[in-house]
Amino acid sequence: MIDSTGSAIYAALNGLAARQRVIANNVANVETPGYIAGRVSFEDSLREAIRNGNASGTSVSTLRSPDPVNLNGNNVSIDNEVVGLTKTDLAYQLMISALNSKFGLLRTAIGSRG
Amino acid sequence: MLFPTFNTAASGLGVFRTWMDAVSDNMANVSTVRPTSEAAFQARFVVASAIGSGQEAVNGAPAGARVTGISFGNAEGRLVSDPTNPLADANGMVRLPDIDMGDQMTQLMIAQRGYQMNLTVIDRAKDAYQQALTIGR
Repeated sequence: MIDSTGSAIYAALNGLAARQRVIANNVANVETPGYIAGRVSFEDSLREAIRNGNASGTSVSTLRSPDPVNLNGNNVSIDNEVVGLTKTDLAYQLMISALNSKFGLLRTAIGSRG
Repeated sequence: MLFPTFNTAASGLGVFRTWMDAVSDNMANVSTVRPTSEAAFQARFVVASAIGSGQEAVNGAPAGARVTGISFGNAEGRLVSDPTNPLADANGMVRLPDIDMGDQMTQLMIAQRGYQMNLTVIDRAKDAYQQALTIGR
């Protein structure tokens, strides 16, 4: 996407969107017997990919939460999920601002007055 | 699928609303009298399970929770002496459901909090999606 900065932002947006979906799934299953919460990790892979100069090689993976399990076999912790949801949404909005700034620079370079 | 987080949270809303419906049915019938020759009113229990293995949410495929069935409580109920009741048998006994109000209230609170939590997710997801719509503007 455009250049390395654009690719890095785009990869981060992808990872954050996946994390948001997984958190929504955890919350929907907060009382489902036997449900194990999912955790998304992409930051390490993104860091590695940026170091190699190709952020589009970032992989998004899910792990099962290692938290202790309740009597009904469920281990969703609602407070963890709310904190995670807030962080993810703020990071997502930050990445969108970054992408818009990037587009702003391009617009300046192109010379459009719009 | 467009905006998959909404669908996931909506599935959670459905489960918790069904649970609240079941609890209200149980509470409404907590004093339902039956003759001893019939089964007592049986408490309703909602059975829920996760949609898919948990990997779906990462890829944006349908995920969340769904109601897979309703199971019923004890049909035996409890026998109570109430000789003046028109439904009482020869020994003056009637059958009442075996439903504990404290237990039902606890379930109602859990279901209500779960419902609110899923609404919060929809709210947050809406903010994020709305922000995403400003890209390139």
